[in-house]
Amino acid sequence: MNVEIVSRPAGAAAWVRLERGDAVTAEVGAMIAMSPDLQVNTTSMSRGGKGGILKGIRRMFSGENFFLNHFEATADGQELLVGPALVGDIVAHELTGGAVIVQGSSWLASSDGVDIDTTFQGVMNALFSGEGIFWVKCSGAGTVLLNSFGAIYEVDVDGSHVVDTGHIVAFEDSLSFSVTKASGSWIGSFLGGEGLVARFSGRGRLWCQTHNATSFGRTLGPHLKPRQEG
Amino acid sequence: MHSEVRHGPAFATLFVGLQPGDRIIAESDAMASMGPRVQMRTRLNGNFFEALLRRLFGGESFFVNEFSVPGGQADDSVVLTQRTPGDLRTIELNGSTLYLQPGAFVAAEPTVDLGVGWAGFASWIGGEGLLRLSVGGRGRVWVGAYGGLFDDDVQEELVVDTGHLVAYEPTVSLNVGLAGGIFSSFFSGEGLITRVKGRGRVLLQSRSIDGLAAWVNAHLW
Repeated sequence: MNVEIVSRPAGAAAWVRLERGDAVTAEVGAMIAMSPDLQVNTTSMSRGGKGGILKGIRRMFSGENFFLNHFEATADGQELLVGPALVGDIVAHELTGGAVIVQGSSWLASSDGVDIDTTFQGVMNALFSGEGIFWVKCSGAGTVLLNSFGAIYEVDVDGSHVVDTGHIVAFEDSLSFSVTKASGSWIGSFLGGEGLVARFSGRGRLWCQTHNATSFGRTLGPHLKPRQEG
Repeated sequence: MHSEVRHGPAFATLFVGLQPGDRIIAESDAMASMGPRVQMRTRLNGNFFEALLRRLFGGESFFVNEFSVPGGQADDSVVLTQRTPGDLRTIELNGSTLYLQPGAFVAAEPTVDLGVGWAGFASWIGGEGLLRLSVGGRGRVWVGAYGGLFDDDVQEELVVDTGHLVAYEPTVSLNVGLAGGIFSSFFSGEGLITRVKGRGRVLLQSRSIDGLAAWVNAHLW
């Protein structure tokens, strides 16, 4: 299986090339175009029947869809084009053992050897990170496609690093984070508009997005008309 | 201080390398991520009265954040961004002054004076606020936009659709007017326009939040 990402960073989409027997699992709605010999199955389970309804429900809490789409090539030389709904970037990460923890809406697709599960990052982080209760955990061996609002930049953390909530895309599970204040004082953190931040510690890779969908929403929101009742 | 704008024009973002003693001032909520040695300190955007005026009438933040690395520490970095997708421009001030529309200010070196001035009713009617932020003195200032950023040297007069003006020199004045007659102004979709008169440089953005909002509103029901 081969992945080529085009139109980075604003309109990124990923061409996934599959040979007979290769399979990809993608977020519902991510498929833009595909070859005819790709068989599509929509289930609430990850491939191989693991998980089921409970996993589907947990996935909903992580900001993903209840359902997943599986694409399996029944002939050689098949192509699948996937992309996210928002303007933004995509990166492909090769998993070789280990795991990456992905912020709910940043998981786009992953290849067959990757197990997709949801993970809980602690009560404090669930309540205050502003990122949803569950995160998507990708483990095993294969390719994971991550998407973002804005461009994606990588940080190799050795020690600690601070990320504003709303800018986290994914991180290797050798890192952990806790939600904390942005500056030395609580008052300063809130008055300064930065509020809470995620402080990562450990050693591993961190993917951040340059833009924050919530901040953009707050800028646009006051200009939108109220929802019609009824 | 080392700075670089990356991922433009769609997602222009300011990557800043700080040595001990370097400082950068950024708009509230501009920080995306920072290294462990960077200290963030929140302070008023000007003096109290100015900050209050700017918050109430200028659509700007009451507070700004200052990022620095304390002496004796190794270098570190901070990533600063803006609320909307779009381009960023680095402007070098050499004693000149520039007026910024609300939301345009992203960051500045500490040697830059952040001030507030009366923008006038024309600016307010044009949807740009009664007050305007002025940046002056010496040093670099980073100005953001929704969409692409363009320069224009106004010789006599330039007509700009409201919401597209990002920054302008004090040598020009703003007047709000109708795009055409009453009829065409309301049916052409152009509505109000800003007349920039005089000689001086202006910065324009290729998209406007008002334009996006109008488009989204038309698709809501």
